[in-house]
Amino acid sequence: MYKASRFSPLASVIRHTVITLPAPVNISTWWNFGSLLGVCLATQIFSGLVLSLHFTAHTDLSFYVVIQSFGDVYYNWWFRALHANGASFFFIGLYLHIARGMYYSSYVFKEVWSVGVVILLLVMASAFLGYVLPWGQMSFWGATVITSLFSALPIIGSDVVIWLWGGFSVDNATLTRFFGIHFLLPFTVAGLAGLHLFFLHDQGSSNPLGVSSDFNKVVFHHYYVLKDLVGVCFFVGPLLGLVYFYPWLLGDPENFIEGNPLVTPHHIQPEWYFLFAYAILRAVPNKLGGVVALAAAVLILFYMPFSPKTSIKGLSFYPWGKVLFFSLIGVFILLTWAGSKPVEEPYVVVSQVLSFLYFFYFLLIGPLTRIQDKLL
Amino acid sequence: MRPSFLLRKEFGNLAVIRGTVKYHLSPLEQRAFAGAISQGVPNIFWRFRQSFFYVVPPMLLSYLVYYTAEMEHDRLQRKQPGQFDHEK
Repeated sequence: MYKASRFSPLASVIRHTVITLPAPVNISTWWNFGSLLGVCLATQIFSGLVLSLHFTAHTDLSFYVVIQSFGDVYYNWWFRALHANGASFFFIGLYLHIARGMYYSSYVFKEVWSVGVVILLLVMASAFLGYVLPWGQMSFWGATVITSLFSALPIIGSDVVIWLWGGFSVDNATLTRFFGIHFLLPFTVAGLAGLHLFFLHDQGSSNPLGVSSDFNKVVFHHYYVLKDLVGVCFFVGPLLGLVYFYPWLLGDPENFIEGNPLVTPHHIQPEWYFLFAYAILRAVPNKLGGVVALAAAVLILFYMPFSPKTSIKGLSFYPWGKVLFFSLIGVFILLTWAGSKPVEEPYVVVSQVLSFLYFFYFLLIGPLTRIQDKLL
Repeated sequence: MRPSFLLRKEFGNLAVIRGTVKYHLSPLEQRAFAGAISQGVPNIFWRFRQSFFYVVPPMLLSYLVYYTAEMEHDRLQRKQPGQFDHEK
């Protein structure tokens, strides 16, 4: 590889990215999630490609193709379970990766952070589109609910929804275009992941202490190649455990019923990874307000690079900042729980208070840490 | 583009350090996992203790919110006194 890299640009890029890359000597397990997300993306692309060989995007056929022929085609049950649960693990990795970024103030790398938030948005879009494809009850009604939200846009709302649907309701035209875009987006995400790494390697990874590590680096290979492999084993183990033993633990039983426009499920809810945003959407009594809050719940991450800078990078040395951060984690988990609940009391009030607290974190964390900077 | 793009941070271009003293021990003259259990395991408990009061109180509060909300919901699902008085 060393000799080849002197002549081959590709080998040179690989060498500079994963072999001789200078990496801080003290990065912890929280730094494993970047490579884990790469593994998740590769898994989803590979399993998705295999599934697409036997999928038909048509309202009369999709449900039966998924349920029946995925049982008949050799090992397709495995690929389907891997793809469905792989999506969940993708979001576990995403949320932990972002949490690491928020705790250790990784957002000071503005370009890396911004590309990362775009990746998050595209992965969320891809997951939403992919969930529609089996054409179960939750697929159909989830698509109906979320696409209908665009009708809240003033003036152009109803036209936008009809354009999105390709008709006057979620129907075959919607399913076929959702399949096309679901197929395309992961490759866009892969390209953006490359850009994400490109910007990161400009400065090098941060570290848990929040100080410069330029004087204390090790080569990526073999230290972090091995550490990342250990992380992959700990990550893929539970994933395969779900695939083999509890493939539908995180799924909705309603999606085993064929999508029916005439029968509305009692509890329309998205997959677990969207429930926090769903709770925020439903907390606002106004339709447009709910849509704005839903978008803001994710887009607020773009604000982080512009939040007030602290003397020390990260929250490691800010006790009240740490308490506030773990309170945000609690709020996020509670919002996920609240999103799964019906619109009844006391869940409505609880969702509203939690939604307020979620946004309040972003307003409070900057001033709180600056107060400590001024006091010390 | 920033100049650092052209002068990417690679070994040989990281930081200027003056007055360093380097020590080196051959891998053949050291134990690879020295202290992994004797110091590593107590370190686990130390790290747990250090973060306990930052992590546990918010999580406890979150659990209390969840528990109270579920109890209240169960209470509201039951018949309330006077709920059907208008039907008498």
